[in-house]
Amino acid sequence: MTAYILHLAILVGIHIILAVSLNLIIGYAGQVSLGHAAFYGIGAYVSALLALHLAAPFLLCLAAAGLVAGVCGLGLGLPTLRLKEDYLAIVTLGFGVIVDIILLNLGITGGPDGLVGIPAPVILGLSFRPQPRFLALTALLTLLVLALAAALVRSYHGRALRAIRDHEVTAQVLGINTPAYKVAVFTLAAALAGLAGSLYAHYITFINPESFGLHTSILVLSMVILGGMGSLMGSVVGAFLLTVLPELFRQFKDYQDLAYGALLVTLLIFRPQGLLGGGKLSLKFLRQGG
Amino acid sequence: MVNRPACLPARETDTQPGRLGFPMFVQQLINGLTTGSAYALIALGYTMIYGILGLINFAQGELYMCGAFVAVLLLATGQVGLVGAFLAGMLAAALLGVALERVAFRPLRGSHPLVPLLSAIGASIFLQSLALLLFGPSDRPFPVQLEFRTVEVAGLPVSSLQGLILLTALGFMALLLVFVRYTRYGKAIIACALDRDTARLMGINVDRMVALTFLVGSALSGAAGILMAMYYNATYPRMGLLPGLKAFSAAILGGVGNIPGAIVGGLLLGVAESLGAAYLSSGYKDAVAFVILILVLLLRPQGILRGKGH
Amino acid sequence: MLTLKSVQAGYGRLVVLKGVSLHVRAGEVVTLIGGNGAGKSTLLKAVCGLVPVRRGAVEFAGEDLTRLPAERIVSLGLALVPEGRRVFSSLSVAANLELGAFHRRDRQQVRRDLEELMGRFPILRERASQPAGTLSGGEQQILAIARALMSRPRLLMLDEPSMGLAPKMLAQVYDILAELKRSGTTLLLVEQNARAALKLADRGYVLETGRIILQGTAAELQEDPEVQRAYLGKGYREVWE
Ligand SMILES: Nc1ncnc2c1ncn2[C@@H]1O[C@H](COP(=O)(O)OP(=O)(O)OP(=O)(O)O)[C@@H](O)[C@H]1O
Ligand SMILES: [Mg+2]
Repeated sequence: MTAYILHLAILVGIHIILAVSLNLIIGYAGQVSLGHAAFYGIGAYVSALLALHLAAPFLLCLAAAGLVAGVCGLGLGLPTLRLKEDYLAIVTLGFGVIVDIILLNLGITGGPDGLVGIPAPVILGLSFRPQPRFLALTALLTLLVLALAAALVRSYHGRALRAIRDHEVTAQVLGINTPAYKVAVFTLAAALAGLAGSLYAHYITFINPESFGLHTSILVLSMVILGGMGSLMGSVVGAFLLTVLPELFRQFKDYQDLAYGALLVTLLIFRPQGLLGGGKLSLKFLRQGG
Repeated sequence: MVNRPACLPARETDTQPGRLGFPMFVQQLINGLTTGSAYALIALGYTMIYGILGLINFAQGELYMCGAFVAVLLLATGQVGLVGAFLAGMLAAALLGVALERVAFRPLRGSHPLVPLLSAIGASIFLQSLALLLFGPSDRPFPVQLEFRTVEVAGLPVSSLQGLILLTALGFMALLLVFVRYTRYGKAIIACALDRDTARLMGINVDRMVALTFLVGSALSGAAGILMAMYYNATYPRMGLLPGLKAFSAAILGGVGNIPGAIVGGLLLGVAESLGAAYLSSGYKDAVAFVILILVLLLRPQGILRGKGH
Repeated sequence: MLTLKSVQAGYGRLVVLKGVSLHVRAGEVVTLIGGNGAGKSTLLKAVCGLVPVRRGAVEFAGEDLTRLPAERIVSLGLALVPEGRRVFSSLSVAANLELGAFHRRDRQQVRRDLEELMGRFPILRERASQPAGTLSGGEQQILAIARALMSRPRLLMLDEPSMGLAPKMLAQVYDILAELKRSGTTLLLVEQNARAALKLADRGYVLETGRIILQGTAAELQEDPEVQRAYLGKGYREVWE
């Protein structure tokens, strides 16, 4: 029983990283990614391959996972972030499908069977195979990511306030959605998803493309919407609820997706700011005329 | 829920690539046009809805699935003829589309364009899992074994099933073009897409035209679903996912809001995909559409036909 | 025929009309003049239901228009030629005209009206199958007026029909308006080009920052020093004489 709770706690941590990173894109860059799981998957595979083939130490795998996912995010974001929001959504979705298909077809990724036998993290000789230790590691990383995101958001608010003060540039700067800012946020979010992927791979020890498809992208998106677009605490709550609730209602597993779908539509209509949203940012973003 | 891209083998693509030269090429071309005609029908729905509302109806693929299921279930009863089941499937998809607009889009008018997109994703997940609960995950064969044979057209072998599908699809496209170009309501839809306020001054009820657009667009998606259920001999809850997404690429390819563009885009995409699978790698078949999508958006966002609305 | 009683309207928090009252009697030509941003277009949109009326009331031929949605107005016999013409650019000229009669059920009569209008404005027949967006500005203005006439309005409202027109085209448009006046159509004409408008009109109102500051017969307004200074300023040549 304890093992199961620890397992859930670890998954919650990984999901928080995913949700927070996606929320940075949605809530703070005003764009949506429907392919976030692709970066998660890229991180997981990079990390696993390095560990399996080069016996690289965990921290290196982790860093490489974040780096490669970030570079992929930069590569996708640079040319596409100037597109209209809804087009971008579809492009990222297409990117997700392409990554999924590549993972399924490449030899090195093991095709549909994926990779097995991924070693547990070892840092300075200390193995993180025992669950409590892995949880501690996950918690640490999750807190770091949250702190980073909070700092970013604060600087966003700071900039917005400054923009209001300097009158002339208000129009441009108010929605700090300058292309460079968007690309930076998108890249960072991709890198964070990559880190989450690395954690996941070394925790679960076997991965296949199924965990990184559209299904997962939409699950993470649901966490963000449930918690509130633009609210960091919201993402934490959303990740927690959508990880734990499905476990509590296991006997209704067949109805889970049905409930997700209904939940998304109902939330967006009746409470688009999510459970904890209501921050000025998210509302301003939602109210913008269509 | 949404998941793995499933590459179903088409019935007649079992020839080895690259061996047979020209006939093989023509065969792939025809295969591509056949699936492409389904993409085109769905893309028409995307393009019309985007034209009038400025929104992507992400659940378009589920209307395709709905049409197929209704037709297949009716046919399976043995009480309904092929034409009757076909029309009933289209009608069901059309009504579902109208209901979808009411529930998932209309309450969100005026919000940021991402919000209705996300709501449509929710609706899409809901409908897919509903179908999964109702009908189970497995493929259903098409209940009527259509007698089809290979006929020679200009010395080239063409399956009569493919011919039938292509002709039906092209027929619907022609009907749609006639509808928007020559009927009062068609013109009213275009007027709403061009200038909502002025359309209202003409006494056009925009809400009704939006509903009509959903009705027509969804009926076409339903028709596409039925045609593909015949072609692949398979109907299943997730069947709409990939064709829906690919048709969106087709709509972009043709220039969003451009009705002839959607048709050309759909057919081109089908052909590109079929040739790509035959001559490059069949494993990457489903990626072709998305690579094209990304390239088009980057290089020529207005689409391949000069996009100036309808 | 048309009565506005202390109408207030605006956009979001912005109040543009701050209590406007005016009336138009059957058979009259009334002009509303005012500078940029005075709220002229907003007033016409408020009458048509495109901008909600916050306070006050709009009545037309005994019906209360205040809460009526825009698409219902035209069937009561009220048509607007919007500012900037707003023809449906990718639809053909003929389709534009047909849409003007969208609410009418008398198909036969619509067909006859279409013929008659095309006879009256030969340019429209000549370009019938051409996309409306390819017409020149003046031709588009004629199309916009003809499109409004297709609804068989009892009151025709025009928002700056002279805007951006060359003198020759402007004269042609005003000839059309004069002819409509002769045939007894009631007109509410919004203009910045006060000279042309006052010449045609029976009565006029002057709107400034959302309030009517002056009203009277066309002759009175033409004589008014304030109007002469602000709207008939020196050096402004009467262009269509
Ligand atoms: N859609 C809108 N949203 C917000 N404000 C608007 C809108 N349309 C007009 N306004 C504002 O309302 C005021 C009145 O505009 P309106 O168009 O009625 O003026 P007008 O008298 O027609 O001017 P013009 O002669 O330039 O056409 C202006 O200050 C304008 O900025
Ligand atoms: Mg105006």
